[in-house]
Amino acid sequence: MNAKRIRFLALLAISLVFLFAWAFPVFWSVLNSLKTDRDALAYPPKLFFSPTLEAYRDVLFGSGSILPNLISSMIISVGTTIVTMLMAVPAAYALARLRFRAKKFAGFYVLATQMLPPVGIIIPYFLVLRNIGWIDTYQGIILIYLSFSLPFAIWLLVSYFEDIPFEMEEAAYLDGASRMRTLWRIIIPQVRGGIAVTVVFVFLNAWNEFLFAVVLSGNTVRPVTVAMFNFVSVEQTLWAKLAAVSVLAMLPVVVLGVVAQKHIVKGLTVGAVKGGGRR
Amino acid sequence: MATVATTVADTATAIVTNDYGRVLAQRERRFAAALLAPAFLALMATTTFPLLFLVWTSAFRMDLAMPFSNGFVGLENYKTLLTDDRFWSSLVVSLVYTGATVVLQVIIGLALALLVMDMKRGQSWFRIIAILPVVLSPAVVGMIWRTFMLAPEFGIVDFLAINAGLGSKNWLGDPFLAMVSVIAIHTWQWTPFAFMVLLASLAALPEDIYEAARLDRATAWQRFRRITLPLLRPAIVMVIIMRTMVALTAFAAIFTVTGGGPGTATEILNLYAYRKSFTELSIGYGSALAVALLIVTILISAVLFAMRRAK
Repeated sequence: MNAKRIRFLALLAISLVFLFAWAFPVFWSVLNSLKTDRDALAYPPKLFFSPTLEAYRDVLFGSGSILPNLISSMIISVGTTIVTMLMAVPAAYALARLRFRAKKFAGFYVLATQMLPPVGIIIPYFLVLRNIGWIDTYQGIILIYLSFSLPFAIWLLVSYFEDIPFEMEEAAYLDGASRMRTLWRIIIPQVRGGIAVTVVFVFLNAWNEFLFAVVLSGNTVRPVTVAMFNFVSVEQTLWAKLAAVSVLAMLPVVVLGVVAQKHIVKGLTVGAVKGGGRR
Repeated sequence: MATVATTVADTATAIVTNDYGRVLAQRERRFAAALLAPAFLALMATTTFPLLFLVWTSAFRMDLAMPFSNGFVGLENYKTLLTDDRFWSSLVVSLVYTGATVVLQVIIGLALALLVMDMKRGQSWFRIIAILPVVLSPAVVGMIWRTFMLAPEFGIVDFLAINAGLGSKNWLGDPFLAMVSVIAIHTWQWTPFAFMVLLASLAALPEDIYEAARLDRATAWQRFRRITLPLLRPAIVMVIIMRTMVALTAFAAIFTVTGGGPGTATEILNLYAYRKSFTELSIGYGSALAVALLIVTILISAVLFAMRRAK
């Protein structure tokens, strides 16, 4: 009985260590963002202090505000999500439901495009966008974000479209509805949930992107993931402000992640289940 | 007579319906083409075209800093690459980084999934907390680790090291420690992924096999070795494949933490291609490096997919 108790306590300790390790960096950023710069710099690190929203006020409304960057991130993410969904929903429906030649190949193509290393395609993008003057523009970044958001969204949506019973479409056709009308009125309402989940993940991926943003952004369009570097420098790092910016950059994705909690495994493994038989 | 008449009638209907079927099938194809066209045009423009363009660029000397000597050089860049020590070292760093992070993620993720699976209470804590790292931007994660966790005499890790009597360490300035750090950061962020996927797969395993094993008095290790592991194999292989692909092309979390340094200690191939193209502005050679990265990715995924098919 005693050995069992020791085993239990050991396992409890291990699991707590991991929970703590995963939560800590986030927790610590939140804590530091509520400090004054002096408290943040204190050594040994302070766990107790009088919290203040000063750092948030400074990074949002002070000089060198990151508000424009948060807005940039928002425009890029929302824009990418809208364009992606407009293209991905019809394509996913066709791949999941319609019969046409080269369907297998089309599905494989979508999957294969995901394998391209981003650093490979950023070089041509840079050259082309520079030529047409689209560096540092929203249309430039959103267009390029399609390269990763589209394949992802299409594959995630296909899995939802496949779950709808065929009978629903057949009934609609028998009633004389056109294909377009059937898709719009009958099918899409059935996959509302799947569309919502896809929107969450597409937004999340666009918000978090970094490599393309670093190369293609500039003074006009600079998302927060890139702009946060202004708060770190060799001479002086503005600790509390950096923490506040990190928290602001994390906030939307953490909220979305918790909201979409039940679907996260599906969202993370999309595409992987394919190619080796269905589920 | 009657039978002949029905056969004729049947054939007639068959012909008619067959024709009608063909019309329907054609309409369906056209509808499919219309639905697919926008997405496929966008995908071709943003993936296939750049890929071809990249291969083309890699055959040029294209130096933005010294444009006068630019021009077509054929396979010259690839020849340079084969004798470029920095290329080979970055390839090794890539393989070490990928290998270490994937192995750690799978082992820790699996161990933790097995542990949590047996918990009667508190599972939901793990499910919620595990989401935190995976939804964060690797750039933000890198930034937090570089500053609040690893900065000498300020970061919590260093604080703990000092208090444990190890002394303050230059976590990101020492070549070996820097490599350990970037591996640890990647593992920190993505182990929850392996954990969540494997936990979901574990939960889906049939209960009755375990009952039978218990009746046969199989030990816990035997149950794991003979039942859990084989049943979980597809999920584990899937996690390995997905994580390998991501680790090979990881960028933000190294770029923000060490920038590939100190020197080239944490410069994975991906980062080398980036630095060559956008810091040293040698775009032609950078393209060749990116093509090399693509070839490495394809080779490794071919091996992994073969592993997946093998029993």
